[in-house]
Amino acid sequence: MPIRKLCMTAAVFFLAASPALLLAEANAAASQPADTVLLDAMKKELHRAMTTLGKTGSDAANPAMTPYFMSYDVADAWTTSITAQYGAVLNSEQGHSRDVDVQVRIGDPKLDNTHGTHRSSAINSVTLPLADDIPAIEHTLWWATNRGYGNALATYLTVKTETQVRAKEEDTSPDFSIAPPVTSIEPAVKPATVDRKLWEEKLSRLSGIFKQYPHVFSSSISMSVQDETDYLVSSEGSVVTTPYPLTRLIIFCSTRADDGMDLYREETFEARTPDGLPDDATITATINRLARELEALRVAPVTQPFNGPAILSGRAAAVFFHEVLGHRLEGQRQRGDEEGQTFTKDLGKQILPPFLSVSDNPTLASFNGIALSGHYSHDDEGQPARDVDLIQNGVLKTFLMSRQPIASFADSNGHGRAQTGYMPTGRQGNLIVSSTNQVPDAKLRQMLIDEAKKQGKPYGLFFEDISSGFAVTTRRSPQAYSVVPLMVYRVYVDGRPDELVRGVSIVGTPLASLNRIVVTGDKQDVFNGDCGAESGSIPVSAIAPAMLVSEMETQKQAQGTAKPPILPPPAADNSTGKESAK
Amino acid sequence: MMSHFKIRTALFAAALLVVSPLLLAQNASTAIPTDDPVLKAMQMELARSQAKLQLPGQLKPYFIQYRVEDLDSYDARADFGAVSQEHANHQRAVRVEVRVGDYNRDSSTGRGDGTLVLTSPDNNIDALRFSLWNATDMAYKSAVQQYTNKLAKLKGFEVPPSYDDFSHEKPVIHIEPLAHMDYDREAWKKRIEHTSGLFLHDAELGSFADQIQYSISSVSAQVLNRYTINTEGSVVRESRPIYRVTAGVGTQAGDGMHLDRSYGASALTASALDSAAVVDKKVGELLIALRDLSNAPVVSEQYYGPVFFTGDAASDIFTELFAPNVEADRPDLGTTARTQGEYTSSYKQRVLPNFLNVVDDPTLKTWQGKQLIGAYEVDDEAVPAQKLDVVAHGLLQNYDICREPVRDFPQSNGHGRAAIAAASRSLVGVLVVRSSAPQSKQAMQQKLISEAKDAGLDSYYVADTLGSQLAPRMLYRVNVADGKRELVRGAVFDELDQRSLRTEITAAGDDAYVDNFLDNEHGDVPVTIIAPSLLFQEIGVKRATEEQQKLPYYPPPSVTAKN
Repeated sequence: MPIRKLCMTAAVFFLAASPALLLAEANAAASQPADTVLLDAMKKELHRAMTTLGKTGSDAANPAMTPYFMSYDVADAWTTSITAQYGAVLNSEQGHSRDVDVQVRIGDPKLDNTHGTHRSSAINSVTLPLADDIPAIEHTLWWATNRGYGNALATYLTVKTETQVRAKEEDTSPDFSIAPPVTSIEPAVKPATVDRKLWEEKLSRLSGIFKQYPHVFSSSISMSVQDETDYLVSSEGSVVTTPYPLTRLIIFCSTRADDGMDLYREETFEARTPDGLPDDATITATINRLARELEALRVAPVTQPFNGPAILSGRAAAVFFHEVLGHRLEGQRQRGDEEGQTFTKDLGKQILPPFLSVSDNPTLASFNGIALSGHYSHDDEGQPARDVDLIQNGVLKTFLMSRQPIASFADSNGHGRAQTGYMPTGRQGNLIVSSTNQVPDAKLRQMLIDEAKKQGKPYGLFFEDISSGFAVTTRRSPQAYSVVPLMVYRVYVDGRPDELVRGVSIVGTPLASLNRIVVTGDKQDVFNGDCGAESGSIPVSAIAPAMLVSEMETQKQAQGTAKPPILPPPAADNSTGKESAK
Repeated sequence: MMSHFKIRTALFAAALLVVSPLLLAQNASTAIPTDDPVLKAMQMELARSQAKLQLPGQLKPYFIQYRVEDLDSYDARADFGAVSQEHANHQRAVRVEVRVGDYNRDSSTGRGDGTLVLTSPDNNIDALRFSLWNATDMAYKSAVQQYTNKLAKLKGFEVPPSYDDFSHEKPVIHIEPLAHMDYDREAWKKRIEHTSGLFLHDAELGSFADQIQYSISSVSAQVLNRYTINTEGSVVRESRPIYRVTAGVGTQAGDGMHLDRSYGASALTASALDSAAVVDKKVGELLIALRDLSNAPVVSEQYYGPVFFTGDAASDIFTELFAPNVEADRPDLGTTARTQGEYTSSYKQRVLPNFLNVVDDPTLKTWQGKQLIGAYEVDDEAVPAQKLDVVAHGLLQNYDICREPVRDFPQSNGHGRAAIAAASRSLVGVLVVRSSAPQSKQAMQQKLISEAKDAGLDSYYVADTLGSQLAPRMLYRVNVADGKRELVRGAVFDELDQRSLRTEITAAGDDAYVDNFLDNEHGDVPVTIIAPSLLFQEIGVKRATEEQQKLPYYPPPSVTAKN
């Protein structure tokens, strides 16, 4: 269920190409028994609310005053987060938090207080006592329920009025789907023992490597350990506990070209516990690579407008599919006046080349030994996670469903996800793109060159790394995807060496580019990151092979005009820097 | 700010530092320490920026100030008897202010210029310099841009501002010993758990315990060590520990009216806070007061007549109605006002009755043995604190001035203060309201009765404590004939404003209430306001018009069953 934002960036990526990483197996987190004291208090207080609210005093005769559904969803999280910069610790924190999302629905599944734009009226979040103090937990739940109920009640009256005065809605499906109760008590995550001193020392040392790169004027290395266990009880009788252990190491660095263009690189390592993170040699190599890439980007030529063939690397394709396709397959996008409904009418139709299939499988904990961020056993509505075939051989089969029905699908398929404090909606978990039209990397590259020649272009583009922007899918905004290419090379047809260019921005419409995929590589890469949308920030993964696209239109991105730093960094300034070199 | 004795002789101070560790926290020095890595990094980078920082074709900075804030903080909160939140953090930030132009007209915008960057709390000189370098670069570039914009904007006004943009001040060297957190976390967690759970076990409260809707207690500790150096040669290191304990309880009366009571205390050491027994006793009283309030009648008929405010209530009145108006905020560019606020045209004019005097004296460190958290020796712009006569015989004599002066006040008077991570501005430190004709409690009482009688009233009001927006929390209607006090609820004051401060106060007590608090309007700068009880001849008391919300839809889990 609730998952907090884990890192400072909207999306971070992971390249599966490092051999050391491919060898590392996804490690497992230690567990401890689920907290039954907490669960019992939640069950008891939920029962008391369901049997009391709207059933006493003057309201007793009015069924419209009684909630038909309630749930308590507690996120019990232990976190450690350490950030180092330029050879020293910037921040080091450890904490324990317990938050509860109280969900109250009034009306009936066909029409309740969440209707239309009122989805958030069902949810009310408060912090819960950190210890298993039963009277304090019960009091807090009571107070949050009372507030949530008041809000739900008022909103339900508004909803009823609104539906009476408005024209018929396009999608008349109910507001909530019926689901059988789920009982699943998994062990809780045992909070990892993090040797903070050791990690502070290690990250400080590693962050000092950036001192060798005088143009990198901003850099950091962060480690975050989040050991969260979610406890969900509902008035339908569901009792679900779900462990979410997640550890990350994030390297970030940035510079600015002389013309004011800001450039950055980042890399994330993902594991279940700190022990699963890569060794110092791997991290050191990654830091040096990112810094060298930045130094190269800083002086690379600025891109020219281009319309021709391109290869997306595996991870670039993964980001591309997550943003361009994945978000548009979220169930709620097919419903509501404000939504784009890109694929609403395309069920059963060919929307991708027939050699491509796309599924979303949160039950997968790791892929080729790499821990996957988007893994979970039960979603944030307590539904079991399911492997869903979204697109088979290019044909659209279904959408990512929460318990919010749409015209074409009534039931959840285990993809109702949310950050604590938000109402779950259909979201991605582990999006997996697979292909039956595969060629090895060398052949893919040759096909790019051949295609460029055929189109009379001097070069094709190779997108090695892409960052995620925010996918806009509403009706009022243009339906352009927002992905930011970070490392792009020109692959010349005349055999010249590949040339790094900077400032590339992709233009065009998503549907068009998806259908211009000609062939894919023969191995899939993993992208792990955080994804932000209306139900908050949640960890996700995307997996895809490299792809050759016959036509990709690019232009120069908008850029800042600020100059790079005027003085050199202190350590690089010989006139005064020596004094500090100890 | 700090509670130290100022000792001008550097040697003396240095000697004390060595021989008397117990006195460490009470002595400042004028010798710049050579072993402080933070100061060293700041000085090295400031020297480099001063010598070299310049964009081709643009002005060099004429003033650069570096501030490094090292903040060790802890806070915990308990609800209904259990800790629900706990945070501990140690962070350090650099704030760089760069001015381009000259003292008369520079790049400042009055919007808190400067660049803030998080840096390492490790005493790593390279990392500190790196952050300072980054922040300086950004601050200088934005100053250059702002300077151009400002000169262009000034061309649109016929008359240029009559005041300088930045005051000339003498450099100051002031080094205080570093402060460290001294706090027993586990003991304090137990205390707030106990305090927030008191209602569960309070025998006197009985079944009213079921009516308590929230019961919170929290503690916080903030130990700030702040370094300020500038290109004029000032070097300041000051320490500011603040420990705080609070409690809050609330309920609704039968008609839905929300009723709240709270307790809060701040001090420079944890041990100077009230003991657990004292806090618990006070919270016990708050709970009983809630019960009494919920049974109290709502004020009905509009009342105009004498109202007595205790020192507690009077200090809130001065916080709300007086202090913000003597803090000289610059008027908008191009306007001719002196400051912003109610007292912009009140210089040398009457703002209080002639028997009242007000000083702002940050050098006052204690009051009858009680620590004053608003005290400091050097302000946050490296200007020595000055005792300021704000009001003499009811006439406004001075405003609090920082280094951005206003008309008629060309110099800072040592009242430039900065919240953590924020730009400095003029703020009150230790504001003391005193009467030249203090009255005993009995005399005040007599006067109250005779004023009520003169007005032909059969009762008058006594305000014990106020809540937000000066709404009374504990307000009593007192019968003139027999002196019987009746607690009432649901009242607000009418015409309690700057005019009534000037014309309606007819007596002030010989008491003094010390209110230490964090000014949350301005980023929690510590402030002390000391005020006597006050008698207003005519204030309106009327019924509050706020909506009466629904009572809880269902009862809380039974409390009484658990005892």
